[in-house]
This record gives sequence, structure tokens and C-alpha cells, in this order.
Amino acid sequence: MTLPPPSASAPAGHALALTGLTRRYGAFTAVQDVSLSVASGQFLTLLGPSGSGKTTILMMVAGFTEPSAGSILLDGRDITALPPERRDFGMVFQGYALFPHMTVAENVSFPLRVRGLARAARDAKVRAALDLVQLDRFADRKPAQLSGGQQQRVALARALVFDPALLLLDEPLSALDKKLRGELQEELKALHRRIGRTFINVTHDQEEALRLSDRVAILDHGRLVQQGSPLELYERPATRFVADFLGRSNFLAGTVREVRPGAMALLAGATRVVQAVPEGAPRLALGTPGLLALRPEKITLLAPGEAADTEVAGEIAAWSYHGTGFSLAVQTTDLGILHVALPAWRAAISPTEGMPVRLGWPADASVPVAEDSHAA
Amino acid sequence: MRRDLGWWALLLPAFLMMTVLYIAPIVQVLAISVTEPQLGLGNYDRLLTNAGVQRVILTTLRIGLLTTGIALLLGYALAYVIALARPAAQRWWLLGVLLPLWISVLVRAFAWVTLLRRQGLVNQGLQASGLIDAPLPLVWNEFGVVVGMVHYMVPYAVLPMLASMREIDSRLLAAARGLGASRGTVFGRVFLPLSLPGVVAAGVLVFIFSLGFYITPAILGGGKTLMAAEWIKLQILDLVRWGMGAMLATVLVAAILATLAVFSRVVDLRRLFGARA
Amino acid sequence: MTGGYGAGRFSRGIAWATVLYLVLPITIVLPVSLTDQRFLSLPQEALSLRHYANIFASPAWLAAIGQSFGLAVVSTLLAVAAGTLCAIGCWRLSRRASDLVRVLMLLPLIIPSIVYAVGLYRWFGKLDLLDRFLGVALAHAVTGIPYVVITVSAALAAFDPRLEQAARGMGASLGQTLRWVILPRIAPGIASGAIFAFIHSWDELVMVLFITSRQVFTLPRKMWDGINENLDPTMAAVAMLLVVFTLGLLWLDGALRRKRAA
Repeated sequence: MTLPPPSASAPAGHALALTGLTRRYGAFTAVQDVSLSVASGQFLTLLGPSGSGKTTILMMVAGFTEPSAGSILLDGRDITALPPERRDFGMVFQGYALFPHMTVAENVSFPLRVRGLARAARDAKVRAALDLVQLDRFADRKPAQLSGGQQQRVALARALVFDPALLLLDEPLSALDKKLRGELQEELKALHRRIGRTFINVTHDQEEALRLSDRVAILDHGRLVQQGSPLELYERPATRFVADFLGRSNFLAGTVREVRPGAMALLAGATRVVQAVPEGAPRLALGTPGLLALRPEKITLLAPGEAADTEVAGEIAAWSYHGTGFSLAVQTTDLGILHVALPAWRAAISPTEGMPVRLGWPADASVPVAEDSHAA
Repeated sequence: MRRDLGWWALLLPAFLMMTVLYIAPIVQVLAISVTEPQLGLGNYDRLLTNAGVQRVILTTLRIGLLTTGIALLLGYALAYVIALARPAAQRWWLLGVLLPLWISVLVRAFAWVTLLRRQGLVNQGLQASGLIDAPLPLVWNEFGVVVGMVHYMVPYAVLPMLASMREIDSRLLAAARGLGASRGTVFGRVFLPLSLPGVVAAGVLVFIFSLGFYITPAILGGGKTLMAAEWIKLQILDLVRWGMGAMLATVLVAAILATLAVFSRVVDLRRLFGARA
Repeated sequence: MTGGYGAGRFSRGIAWATVLYLVLPITIVLPVSLTDQRFLSLPQEALSLRHYANIFASPAWLAAIGQSFGLAVVSTLLAVAAGTLCAIGCWRLSRRASDLVRVLMLLPLIIPSIVYAVGLYRWFGKLDLLDRFLGVALAHAVTGIPYVVITVSAALAAFDPRLEQAARGMGASLGQTLRWVILPRIAPGIASGAIFAFIHSWDELVMVLFITSRQVFTLPRKMWDGINENLDPTMAAVAMLLVVFTLGLLWLDGALRRKRAA
């Protein structure tokens, strides 16, 4: 493949910016006022449940769907009005969209053929692209004779063979079984590092988004809810939706009763929940309702006499064991049911239903989140 | 829209051919009916005053309804048996229905004449067996027309009914039997109601085809049983009465479109003609 | 559709009778065409091919066959080109936008050909297309379009629209996408449409009765005169040839469909 190595002086990828992108279908708004930017060489994932508008955004970037409002800029140049065939983007389609009447080599060679490349030049590039995805031995097969994973790689080779400005991936791994999906995630990530292109990926699989991306944009009901690095999003979700969609969370609702530098406390029934407030973070006013998100793995089982910033007593309502740990559902009086994940090898107890337990967590374990704006 | 320009261009050749070579001549027929021999609705007055026109319209309606009724009855039994047959048997049944559909209408009319005329094979056979003394008048009358038209229409009746019967979930029938219903009850209470949309579609299709039918009635009617299409041909080619011919042609088109409009709630036109696969 | 529920004896009886009614009268043409007599009858003493020989010795019949064949080929090419492009356009454009076009394309199946023939008689008079090869070819092409639109639309319904998107996304122009991606995939549907458009033109009589007189004299026109004037076994032989020809085309269509399914 004739892709420049990532160390070349000019960045290999291109930067994309979306401003105020909106798409309406009659009275229904599929995408509302989304502004996003991807730096050159970044791996961006659009993540959201089905119907969140993520695929519509990708289709607008690819040029298959016309935006109702807003614009798309590639390296600062407005490409909103360009038809798809003039955008020069590579795309891996959901289900791959390999041409069933062409061989693997003919499929990969297609983008070069439409660009009028001479046969010899085409063959060399096709061979390099198939090498890149380790499919050189399958050049003469028809897509129907390949496994799902192999088809996915052909689609990748075909999308990359013409040195596209951007690579767009529409649920590239959703058709594969779980184990294969994990392997191909690794490969995709390695490929991205190796060729240094800008990738935009669409998925509803939060684990895939966290593993692959430099940046994740979370969408819900056509709106961009939050964007950031996977770590930022997981550790500091801004809304209830993000905290719930990315991993699992317990939600603690209460009223703000104390505000001090660096911390505050909420009262939920008789339970006092202490929450750290980092420097510069927005504060909640005294007496207002507050909502905290708390990851199940950040809750610990307190030994008798052990203390924590927040402590709450309850009894085990249900539990399950799944190899790496226990999942407990603990019924509390003030905070409802709390889900707790315990590493199995360190668990101090063997859980039984009805067993009384004391839970605790430090003040910086939970984060304040906003209620969702569209919540009914 | 802007980006779809190329795709719109693909429609252009067919659209131009259709408007210039199909729609325009037909619109002209409509125009002639109110402009010749003079401007006005004079030709349409004949609908009320001219016994000849009235007789032709009544004959056309009578034969059309009769044909539709018989074709639906035969076609329903056939579609019913096909729908319930095993897949291998279905293919043979369908072959029997579809082959006649594509055999030239002329060939079929010719075959019926060969069979049904006075010295035809049917009369010869009946006479030889001693069942009758004198040949029966089987063709060049309304009987012959109906025999030939039903023969032409049965396949058109079978196809929409078969399509709607195939959508019936066979488990419903098995379930009804399992719940203790007799075969007759299952048919009357479950199968028949579910297949009714197909019957309506088939009826509309056969009826509108019957109204404008030319070749079969012309050959098998022998000039004695005049239906609308042949009457129009007589007015224009033999009597050169353009206004009258165009008037009945317009009435024919109006009757067909009205029938389709009335049943458009029940019948999906595009599906009827197979455009939506 | 089985599930332990089959058709009863009564309905099977009617169904059998109906199929025999559909098929048997057509098969009668074969023995009549082989008769050794000079009039329409079953063979009396021996089978004879003289009536077939008559056809092939008659310049009039051969000319009619040739002319019908030429017309069918030309009108089929026109109908296939226009109908295929139109079906593809309708398929790709939104349903609402192209619905009107689809209905328009189906009109020739709905409006009786007698009405169209009457209109053509006048219209072609103005355009100087009466009794000319081109005129009949155009009329048959326009009325053949629905068959092509229907079969090609059916083929397109099974075509994954993402393949078209993929091709455009990789830089293919509309022409390249059509040539390299869409047409190869729907070729069997186009072939089916071509076969039906061909049969349509080959059998068409009503328009021909109005817009031709001497220059263009097609096979159905000659048969029509034969049936109305002199009913002789030559007609049966011609009819038999037509049946065999149609069966051949239908067999070809079936073979193409099986290939598409495989």
C-alpha cells in the first residue's frame, strides 16, 4: 500500500468539522444542531442507541443524506454540497456492501477502476491493500465464499485502497460474533495506528467505542449529549443518560444540605451522601435537588468498624456470580436498590439473600450528573 | 433534489415516449369525442337517445359481469387448490395457469372456433355419439364469446387470489382444525374471509379487462354479439363516425378508471400489476 | 400452506376441470395442424406436414413472419432501454416523487388497446407514421414498457441499495455505477422483461389493425385475415408454430430465473 508512514512530516489524515448539522424528515428531527470536530489522525466514534441519529450523521458526512441545515468542513473547506462520489471518503458499510458478482480483488480494485487507473497500477495497489488486511490468498474468491470476518477485512481494504481523506465505518463489527469482534477491534485499532488516517466510526456498542476511540461523541434523540476521551466520559459523565449508557450506574437523588470548599453533602432520607467537588467545577446551591451517579465497582463492602465518607446499611436482595466477581443488588431504606460489583477473589463474604451488609464509598467515587433534557 | 438530477434523467426517455406516443394519442381521443362532428356534448346525448349505443353498453356490461363471475368462481377453486398443494405440485398447477396466459389470443380464439363451430370437433363428437341430432350453436353468439373470454380471464383471476391466499398463515387453518372446527367451518370462517381482498382484486382486474376486450369477442361473436371495443372499431374504420367512436372510447376509459377508483381502497393498483414486488 | 389442511374433493374437481379447460383447447391445434385433409379436421388416414410446408412455401406468410420478428426485436430494444432506466430511476428516487411516473408506466396495461389504437390512428396520421415500420415499432415499444418496468422493479427489489451507495461513495459516477454494479446484478430481470416485451409485440393485433394496411403486414394481422376469411389447416399450422415459439421463450425465461435463483 502506498500510504505514507505516520512519521511523515505532513499529517496523513484530514480534519473534519461539523457545525450546526441538522436533518429533519417532515416533522421528525433525526439530527438536531450537532457540532463536532475531529482532528487529523484521530479515531472518533459516534455512539448512541438505535434512533439516536448517529448513522444519519455518518450518512451526511458521506454525502448520501443532505443536511437540512448546518455545514460540513474538511480541512476548513466546505464540502456540504459535494455529492458522495466527489468527497473522496472511504467507507465500510453496515453488512459490508461487497459486490457479490465481483471477486475480492475486483471489489478492492473498484475504487481505482472508477478513477481510471491503469491496470498495472491497480493490481499493485490491490495487492498491497490485501496484504495489509492479510487476505492476499483470497484475491480470486467471491465474497459469498468468505467468512464474516474476512468479508469485513475486504470491506476495509476496499475502503482504504484509494488513500481516502477519511475512513467512515458504519457499525463495522456488528454482524460478527462476540469473540471475533474482540479480535477485529484489536486489528482495527492497530491498523489505525499504523496508517495514521482519520477514522469516524458509528456503533451502538459502548465497549467497542471505549476500546477503539481517541474520542467518543454520545448521541441521544438526535442531539450530541457529551463528547470527550473514553476515560473522561466514563469517569465524568455529564448526564444521567451518559452515565447509564456507558457502563452501569446507580443514581442517588437527594437534596443539597451542606456546601464546603471541595465537597458537598446531599441528604436522601436519613442518609448523608458526601460528594467531592473538584476545583472549578460547577456547584449546586443549598436546598436544591441533586443527582449523583455511582459506578457499582466503586462501592465497597465495609467490614465491621470500617468507615467511609458515605455509609449505608441494607440487605442483599439478589446476587449472582459471573467468574470475575459477584453482582449484588442491595436493598437500602433511603437510596433504594444499589447495585454493587465485587471482585470475587477479594470478597469477604459469600452472599446469601437477606444477608445484612454495610456499604461505603469515598467522596470522589460518585459524580454529579444532570437530568436528561428530553426526559418526560 | 439537486443531487438526484442524474436519477431523474433516467426517467426521461420512458417519460417522453409515454407522454408523446401514449398519453397524447389518448388525450386526442377524449378531445375528438367533444369536438367532432361539432363542438359540444352532442355525442354523449346519444348515450340517452340512441338504442344502438345503449344495447352495446348493456351487452358489454352483461358479458363483462358474467365473465367476471364465472372466472372468479373457477379461479377461486383453482387458486385454493394451488395454495394448499405441496410445493412440487404447485409448480405444475401454476404451469397450467400461466402457459395459456402467454399463448397468443389469436391462437386461442382460433382453437375455440375449431372446436365449437357447427362442423367443429365438439359438435362432431356429440353427433357421432348420438347425443344430439343437429349441431348445437356453440359459437358466433354470446355463449361462444363468454367461453372464450372466461378462458382468457381465468389466469388473471387466479394470480391475485393466489397471492392473497399465500399470505394466509397455514398455522391458523391447522389451529382451527385442532380446535374442532370442521373443514367447512374452517373454510367459511377463516379461509374465505382472509382471502376476500384477493377476490376483490381479481374481480376488478377481470372486469376492467373484459370491458375493453376486442379480439376474442370479435372472432367468437361473429359480428352478432357486439361489445364496446368492436363497436368502436366499426364506427371508426367502417363508418368513419369519429365522434361516436371516440365518445364510447372515452366512456370506456371513464368506466375503467371509475372502477379502479372505487376499489382503490381495497386494491393496491401497483401491487395488482406487480410493480411492487 | 399445508399444515394438515388440504383442499377438499369438490374444489379439487373444479380445479382439475378448470385446468383442463385452460390447456386442452390449445392442444387441439396440434392434431388439426397435422391433418391430411384440406379442411379443418382431425387427421383421417395419416399425419401430414403439408400445411407446414404450405407456410414455408408461401412468400406472404414468410414475409409476415419476418416483419413481425423485426418489429418485435426493434420494439423490445426500445422498451428495454427506456423501461430499465425508468425502473432504476424510480427505485432510487423516493417513492412519493416517482409514484406518479410508475402509475404512468402501467397505464398501457389498464387502458384498453382499442382506445389507444383509435388515438394512434389519428396521431400517427399527423406524424406521418401510418403503415410504417417505425410507427408500429414505436407503438409496440411504448406498450411494452410496462412489462419491462414490472420485471426490472422486481429484480431491483432484491438488490441491496447499499451496493449503489458503496459504489458512489468510492467515487463511481452514475454511469459507472449503472454499468458495473446495477446492470450486472439485475440482468436476469431485464432479460425477463425483454422476453415479455417481445411476446407482447409478436402477438399484438389491435393497434396493427388500425395503423397498418399494406406496407406493414404482421403475422397476427395475417392470421386475423385467415380466421375471418378462409379457415383452413394452414392456420392451425401457423398457430402451432406460434405456440412452440412462445413456449420456447417462456422456457428461456424460466431458465434465466433458475439461474438467478442459483
